[in-house]
Amino acid sequence: MVKEIEKAGFPIVQMANLVPVAKTVGANKIVPTISIPYPLGDPNTSKEEQWKLRYHRVGVALDALATDIEDQTVFEVKF
Amino acid sequence: MKKAILYINQFFAGIGGEEKADHAPEIREGLVGPSLALDAALKNAEVTHTVICGDNFMGSNQDEAVERILAFLEDKEFDIFFAGPSFQAGRYGNACGVICKAVKEKFGVPVISSMHVENPGVNMFKKEVVIFPGGRSAAAMRKDTKKMAAYGDKVLAGEKIGTAEEEGFYVRGIRHQVIDFTMEPAAVRGVKMLLKKLAGEEYVTELPIPKSDRVEIAAPVKDLATAKIAIVTTGGIVPVANPDRIQSASATRWGMYDVSEMARLEGGVYKTIHAGYDPAAADADPNICVPLDALRAYETEGKIGSLDTHFYTTVGTGTTEAEASRMAEEMVPFLKEHGVDGVIMTST
Amino acid sequence: MKLELGNFYVKDVKFGDTTAYVNGILTINKEEALAYVMEDEHITEADIVIARPGENKRIVPVKEAIEPRCRVNGNPVFPGVTGGIAPAGSGRTHALKNTSVLAVGKHWGSFGDGMIDMSGEGADLTHFSKLINICLVANTDEEFERHEQQKKNKALRWGAMRLSEYVGNAVKEMEPEEIEEFELGPIIKRDQKIKDLPAVVYVMQPQSQMEESGYNDLVYGWDANRMLPTFMNPNEILDGALISGSFMPCSSKWSTYDMQNCPTIKELYKAHGETINFLGVIMSNLNVAMKQKERAAVFVAQMAKSLGADGAILAEEGYGNPDADFIACFDALEDVGVKTVGITNECTGRDGQSQPLVVLSEKANAIVSCGNVSQLIKLPPMEEVIGELAALGRDGLSGGWEGDEKLGPSVREDGSVILENNSMFCGDQVLGWSQKTMREF
Repeated sequence: MVKEIEKAGFPIVQMANLVPVAKTVGANKIVPTISIPYPLGDPNTSKEEQWKLRYHRVGVALDALATDIEDQTVFEVKF
Repeated sequence: MKKAILYINQFFAGIGGEEKADHAPEIREGLVGPSLALDAALKNAEVTHTVICGDNFMGSNQDEAVERILAFLEDKEFDIFFAGPSFQAGRYGNACGVICKAVKEKFGVPVISSMHVENPGVNMFKKEVVIFPGGRSAAAMRKDTKKMAAYGDKVLAGEKIGTAEEEGFYVRGIRHQVIDFTMEPAAVRGVKMLLKKLAGEEYVTELPIPKSDRVEIAAPVKDLATAKIAIVTTGGIVPVANPDRIQSASATRWGMYDVSEMARLEGGVYKTIHAGYDPAAADADPNICVPLDALRAYETEGKIGSLDTHFYTTVGTGTTEAEASRMAEEMVPFLKEHGVDGVIMTST
Repeated sequence: MKLELGNFYVKDVKFGDTTAYVNGILTINKEEALAYVMEDEHITEADIVIARPGENKRIVPVKEAIEPRCRVNGNPVFPGVTGGIAPAGSGRTHALKNTSVLAVGKHWGSFGDGMIDMSGEGADLTHFSKLINICLVANTDEEFERHEQQKKNKALRWGAMRLSEYVGNAVKEMEPEEIEEFELGPIIKRDQKIKDLPAVVYVMQPQSQMEESGYNDLVYGWDANRMLPTFMNPNEILDGALISGSFMPCSSKWSTYDMQNCPTIKELYKAHGETINFLGVIMSNLNVAMKQKERAAVFVAQMAKSLGADGAILAEEGYGNPDADFIACFDALEDVGVKTVGITNECTGRDGQSQPLVVLSEKANAIVSCGNVSQLIKLPPMEEVIGELAALGRDGLSGGWEGDEKLGPSVREDGSVILENNSMFCGDQVLGWSQKTMREF
């Protein structure tokens, strides 16, 4: 799906836990998430911590949208 | 007697060489050039018409060429369509692939071609068109034509079609399961394969690793502060009633839901229907999968210009690549209409 | 550590006044058996129905299959599950062959449940059409999950396990018709002749996909999700230390019966001392988070390397995100010089065109492929349905559906069905029976 949307000209970031899968299916911009059942917020942590993580990683994804890249890139997150 | 139509280029039609490569498409009743050989080789059909088109005309005006040729075929009765053989000729191979694919989509008839293994048309079209390995040059004309005809006869006779290996056409990356009680059980096959691998002997893997293909990197968002961002997800987040009845696995349906008045997604209002992962966390707080709350915050702060009015959703588990591509293709016009500049896709 | 499996080859199963096994005929006192099963109050109604190979019967929704066995020393067949914890894999266990106990929902199905046809084309798609199936068909009071797609199916599965022990006890005191012996000496103390052979480990990845307990495969009763890879003796797997869970889409599932009879372990035993030095089993799992997958691969590769393995067979109970574990371990093993062959199924979609595994690696160059979970299958109606046919379309089984624009519902009015291979009970037989493969068309 990422490829179809990108083919149509939209810059797109794939947020996923299984980075090897995202790489194999060919997403060009990848931001890792923390897990499959809860990509952006571990329910075993406090609401504040979940928010902090989600806000940070979504921010990285937005910046990635505006970043020029040469090759498939996995963007780093701080936490 | 069933009817066949053959597509050839200007050279094999005897019109001319490179200088005639922009010959406009035409259709002639009866046999021209290679269609004589094809007609002779076919047992279950006769070739009634020959379509001719210049390689450059097809290459430079593909849509028009296809449109014209499909129009020629509209009022013709035919049960099967052939193109080539195109040997190593790249433009000719491309033309054969293009027209076969279009004919198959419009008329639903079997389409068959032939190309040398190095013809770029092979990798481009082998999934949609049955392509037989062919020789490098016209010296192989007879042989290549016979292969196409033999397979065509089989298909027309309704005979059971075997695997790519058995029939002889290029492996297409279409894999289906086969029950074979003469085969050894997987445990035995596994141990035997391991013994060979350990001894450095040759073995045949049952799952050849296919090559991956990439899409050209789209231009980045120029100015985030004025950009409109959309969220797409394969995590199956939907309104609790699942109004579009998106399937929990092997999805063929998708939905788009208006969140323009919402600051976040609420548990109990939205949930996940994706059957491939533990739903507890996403049901309790759908924002962990579709981060509406975070994006709204960025919108308020001015980091992004705005959020799309809707988010777009389907379910990823078991969903085929073909269906996923189609669904994304269907989403694209909405993204365009909404003036979206960039997309975040979340997956589980 | 020597395991003796004392086998009794059942010719037929019927109901009668006394539960006993005489001359190949297994008789079950139905009232007594049901009374035993219904000691668990969560089972609200239950029946036992026999389904034999060749009969015009369809069984759905099937949640689990277990080979009826007993331990001659009286210990539980499934340590840590049906009783206390004691080591499995040594001593004498008696088994009733040619038969299995099935846990079947009287009405309600779930994502991981499947279907068995005892005759016709559907029979080719599961191993269980070859067995005399003792079907525990029951309903439970588990309201909390009545309408959930994911179910723990605890009462039914435990009920079937207990029934299998009850039936297995019929041969506790008897002399087996055949005794299979399984013994691997301590690794570093084996004969030089054996030590000179290529050393092989069997790496198993049982499913452990759910975060909450109750759905995953269990090792001595412990949730496989809460484990790091560990080293086990293959006898333990053949002898009840590993039991199946309830989450996995059914054709990928390893039922407890599959585990008790693991063909790959038996094949490795056959080769042991002849062509290989079978070191043992590295028991890994299939957790969902990327870090957990990576961590498991680190453990698997380290153990294989430290044990001195030259080769490995790697088996994955699943498809989709578990392919990432499969490839992670494959790569990790190859990276430390352990030549690996993987055994798995594929998901190439109904059109056969999708990428077979979600992650690919050039190092995964030796794979035995067991089938396509997405393969579309049409089957005719069967005279008798054990369980409830509607469950296939209604209850979210992985291979069934309520309605589809092109294909209609999975369950048609005349009782015929259209479904994905996904719901054929343990259909892909990845633990080793599979006589299916994938071919290019």
